[in-house]
Amino acid sequence: MSILAQAILNGVMTGTLIAVPAIGFTAIFAVLRYPSFGVAAYVTIGGFAGWFANTMWGAGVLPALVIAFLVAGAVGVAGEEGALRRLRPAGALTVAIATIALNLILENVVRFLFGNDLRGYDLPLKPDLRFLDLRVGPQQIENVVLAGLVMLAVFAFLRFSRFGKAMRAVADNVDLARLKGIDPQVVAITTLFLGAGLSGVGGVLLAVDTSIDPLTGARILLSVFAAAVLGGLGSIPGAVVGAFAVGIAEELSLLVVPATYRSAIGFAAILVMLTFRPRGIFGERAV
Amino acid sequence: MSQHDTTRRDLMAGAAALAGLIALPNLAHAQGAPIKLGSLTPLTGAGGPYGPVMVKAIKAVVDEVNAAGGVLGRKVELISEDDQTNPEAGVRAARKLIDVDRVSAILGTWASSVTTAVAPLCWDSKTFLATVSGADPITALPHQGYLVRTQPNTTLQGRKFGEFALEQGAKRVFFVSPQTPFQRSQFENITLAVKAKGGDTGALIYDDKKPSYRSEVDEIARFRPDALVLGGYAPDTTVLLRDLYRAGFTAKKIAFGYSVNQKLVESLPADVVEGVFTISPSSAEGSKAYERLVKLIGVSNPDPYTTQVYDQVNLVLMAIALAGDASGTAIKDNIRKVSQAPGGVKVDNALDGLKAIAARQPVDYDGASGPCDFLETGDIADCRFRYEQVRAGKINLIKIA
Repeated sequence: MSILAQAILNGVMTGTLIAVPAIGFTAIFAVLRYPSFGVAAYVTIGGFAGWFANTMWGAGVLPALVIAFLVAGAVGVAGEEGALRRLRPAGALTVAIATIALNLILENVVRFLFGNDLRGYDLPLKPDLRFLDLRVGPQQIENVVLAGLVMLAVFAFLRFSRFGKAMRAVADNVDLARLKGIDPQVVAITTLFLGAGLSGVGGVLLAVDTSIDPLTGARILLSVFAAAVLGGLGSIPGAVVGAFAVGIAEELSLLVVPATYRSAIGFAAILVMLTFRPRGIFGERAV
Repeated sequence: MSQHDTTRRDLMAGAAALAGLIALPNLAHAQGAPIKLGSLTPLTGAGGPYGPVMVKAIKAVVDEVNAAGGVLGRKVELISEDDQTNPEAGVRAARKLIDVDRVSAILGTWASSVTTAVAPLCWDSKTFLATVSGADPITALPHQGYLVRTQPNTTLQGRKFGEFALEQGAKRVFFVSPQTPFQRSQFENITLAVKAKGGDTGALIYDDKKPSYRSEVDEIARFRPDALVLGGYAPDTTVLLRDLYRAGFTAKKIAFGYSVNQKLVESLPADVVEGVFTISPSSAEGSKAYERLVKLIGVSNPDPYTTQVYDQVNLVLMAIALAGDASGTAIKDNIRKVSQAPGGVKVDNALDGLKAIAARQPVDYDGASGPCDFLETGDIADCRFRYEQVRAGKINLIKIA
């Protein structure tokens, strides 16, 4: 019994790490209507920006998160607006493929600047806390809290701010939004900044829990994508639920299938979801 | 329209130019076209820390030999490619080296998965392949002699891991590893060694691309091992070590030297890696060849792969000189005549070797990685191992045996 409970607890922790980039991915999809695989690079860039702030300037986790958000957001806007904007009329598939290229380029820029070595944040590593036969790391609890706060902030931004409302309007219906005097271009840039920035935040959370190298983002891309599809592409609450579902499924799977196949769980989740409920858990596309 | 009409004269001139172009490579050859060697090492990916230094060592030997007049009166040209520690990228790069650059030999393939993928291209095209990969099945491939390795195979390595765990007082030994070509053989040979002394073993194969291994650690702990053998590469081992530490895992940990290296140690808090043992095939530290390599590349403590590729390029160049021919087949037929000629002159570098070969003396090369004597299969006959332990953030030598 405790084995099962521990696996579920581990899954919640894994889900937290996937959830924040998944929100970023899904926000970009909701407004710009293409899957941006660039999020893998934004995760990595955020992780490295935070690492730089942490090891060079002694920044704590919170300032590192802010810096990661700003840097990854700026790179996201520059990359997607600078390189991909002209491709958008050619359709979602074209842009999606171009984001894979963008991702490779950004990944290699990181590699060029920082090299291939693994980097760890300069933070004390604390042993797990134990209760009722279960164990959980202090850093993980901190991560869950931080991720929770970030998610709350995103929900509040979308619900109450002018920009958030504009984003939801554009996601709902571009033409109607334009008639109402909303500039879709401004909304696109804001969304990209938010989406890439959140991926960067996810990168820091991932990095403080483990370590980073230029492939960190690429390694979790499949799980992030699976979470977004599972939640119903374009739905932000869906992405969060999807992330926890994927995280818990991955950890639970270890009890029945060999650990080598852990990544396959993400694929299986996408396959099952698209077969039986193509709209995802949260149905219609809505921010 | 008339602009595009081709006159007979144009046609003749074009044909003549074309014929000239085709003849050019042969012409160049006659004047001593360079002998081309390829290096295929991991400059990126899990093997990224090793590839660049390996290339440096090969390049240093090539430069040295060129400065002394080359081989067979021809310059040696090195073409360096990145296999990204990835079989697909490795195959693409090998195709380029073989089909476009037409190299005689490819040196340095590191990951066993890359070597396994690249080897058939080499023997098919009669290109010689020298590798530092350790997986057993590699030398069992039908390579027809076109492959040698300077790294001891996994049967030998697995046994050493098992024996060392027993030496440390372990009865229950657990092995964790990602899916690699040597994982099965490594575990089988650990098990053989441990069960022979009445111990027991267990194994877990994990996905090496995950951000955390908490559930895997739970599964390891359920076996209650006295010693844990870590079979992964540096990135996944880093994540695993952190999670083992956080779980309060106290059993002895034994890892490959290439995975728990100085860089990994530096990237983790000291407590996490404290006490981890590492085992690696040992270089011939203290030998003249080793000292020479240190001076040549300016790296004070070259890793085993660097010492091995240094030996590979020396051997290949000497084999070409002895054969009087730079083809892959010539290297295949002559490599053992320069590495282990009975009663040959002992040499430890290509320059001395080339002089001895010019003087028609048989040559027996002993290099920076060891004696470099090859069996029929392409495996090396003998090798020593290096046992180290992490203490206070530094890797300390325990013994070489």
